[in-house]
This record gives sequence, structure tokens and C-alpha cells, in this order.
Amino acid sequence: MRKAIVVLALVGIGVMLIYAVGEMPPMGDSGNPDKVHIAPRYLEHGEEEAGASNVITAVILNYRGYDTMGEVAVIFCALCAVVAILNREKPGLSRTSMDVSGVKASVVVRTTIRFLVPVIIFFAVYIILHGESTPGGGFQGGAIIGASIILFTLAFGLPESTRKLPLRFRIPLESFAVIAFLAAGFTGIVFGVHFLTYLMPGLSEYAAETIRHIMMMVIEIGIGFAGGIIFTSIMFAMIREDQCELQPDSP
Amino acid sequence: MDWTLNLLLLMLLLATAISVIRIKDLLAAAVVFSAYSLVMAILWTQLRAPDLALTEAAVGAGVTTVLFIITIYRTVRKED
Repeated sequence: MRKAIVVLALVGIGVMLIYAVGEMPPMGDSGNPDKVHIAPRYLEHGEEEAGASNVITAVILNYRGYDTMGEVAVIFCALCAVVAILNREKPGLSRTSMDVSGVKASVVVRTTIRFLVPVIIFFAVYIILHGESTPGGGFQGGAIIGASIILFTLAFGLPESTRKLPLRFRIPLESFAVIAFLAAGFTGIVFGVHFLTYLMPGLSEYAAETIRHIMMMVIEIGIGFAGGIIFTSIMFAMIREDQCELQPDSP
Repeated sequence: MDWTLNLLLLMLLLATAISVIRIKDLLAAAVVFSAYSLVMAILWTQLRAPDLALTEAAVGAGVTTVLFIITIYRTVRKED
């Protein structure tokens, strides 16, 4: 009996969903609202309205600034949840069982990674700083920074990584993206326009453009470095094992 | 548009996606999932979305795979 009700309800929902799909505009049709109003506006006016020649950056930072701010906050909340459950690593005490086992990564691996990591970080910084005119931006660059630090940790062990990136250095950077976004948003309110308006009124055109440029740059750099450090911190929190859990034969 | 390459990539995507669900070994599934992300990243570039391709390659193939493997490594197997 209950099964029949469940099946009936599922069929009903399915029929409604299929009916709703039939009401939607045809997929990829050139007459759809998003292609008639939104896309041409972004493509034609994106550069002067949003101040970024890469339309995607213009959409991410300007037209859909709220979305991006929410995403940044979500990543930050994810870090908060992970740290609340797993706690931070303890300087000098936290190790992985890989470190304790005494088996080091081979010379080939370590040398390759020592050469590669600076190049990867350089590439990430290029992606972050060049996000206004080429594909990429804060999120992408941040993910690459995080990946490079993870690579380093896997080859050289957790103690070496936490020595290179201590907590006092990571904690301010983790919240940098949210703070940069909020600061940029409230700057607009202080100047008497809407939240997250980058173009300040009452200034000369050149000054307003420059300020907008600097603000977008700060937000991009903030997203990039904060994203990378947040990935790193999550990974450190997950990989760490405390001394008491392991065999006491550490150096 | 090079449709044979796209067809090949889509077939590979389907194959990896199905094998991720079918594989019983979690570590192997994580590695295959990383391959899925890599194929998806190439497909994003084919779809003219380089931003997404960068994200997919860095996050999907790189960071999440490591996080999955750490999780598998730090948890224990428990069966009835």
C-alpha cells in the first residue's frame, strides 16, 4: 500500500516535471530571453560598464558580484566547518603517518617538485593578475596555488610545509577574500551608491576608472590567495595526525 | 568543429563516469574520477570555456582527488 502511494507520488512528480520541461523555451534557440537581452548587453557593454575586457571576469566580478561574494563565503564556511571538526595542526607536533614511517619520497620526485612548484605558483599568479583580459582569475589561480602546495606537502611532508606556511601567516590570508569583497562593497555605500558598485560618483572619469581597477585587482588577488590558502588549510587539517596517535619514532 | 575528437571524448567521459559508479575499490574510483575530470576539462576547452577548463583541471583533477585519497586513507573499512 505504502509502496503504491510512493510510486504514484513519484509518477505524479515526474509527469509534472516533464510537463514543465515542455513549457520551457527550446534549448539553444536564438530567440530565448538570455540570448536576446542578456548576452548582447554583456558582450557589447561589458568592457565599459564592468571595466574588464574579459567578459567572464566582468560578469563574475561586476554583473554577478553578489554570486561571487556568496561563493567566496561558502568556501570560507567550508574551511570553518573542517577546522571546527578536525582542528588545526599543532606546530612541531602534527605529522602524517608517511612522515613517521621514515620513508622519504625519492630524490627524483623531490627534485622535480622543488623545480616545478615555483613555476606553478608563477603561472597561478599570472592567471590571477591577468584575469581581466585573459581566461582565468581569482578562483582558477587560487586552485592552482592550492594544488602546488598540496604537491609540495606530498613530497616533503607535513612538518616542512607547516614550517614554510605557519598558522600566523595563513589565518589572516584565509579571510582576505571575504574581507576584500565586503570592503569593496561598503566603499560603494560610503560614496552613496549601491553595495558592490565599483564606479564611484563625484570623481573625475580617470580617477573613478583607476579606483575601480584597483578594487577589482584587490578582489581578484584576495580570491586567489585566500582560495589557495583555504585549500591548503583544509588539506593540512585532513592529513594531520597527532603524535599520540602514532608510533613514537619521529626524529 | 572536430566532431570525431569530441565524440571520442564524450564516449571516454561516459565510460569513466560509469566505471566510477561500478568500481568497488574506492581508491581506484577516486583515480578514475580524476581521469573523468581531466576529460571534462578538455571538453570545456572544446566548448570554448577555458575558465571552466582551468578550474576543472585544478580543482577536479587535482585538489579533490587528493582530498578523496586522504579521506579514504584516514578512514577504516567497515562492513556487516
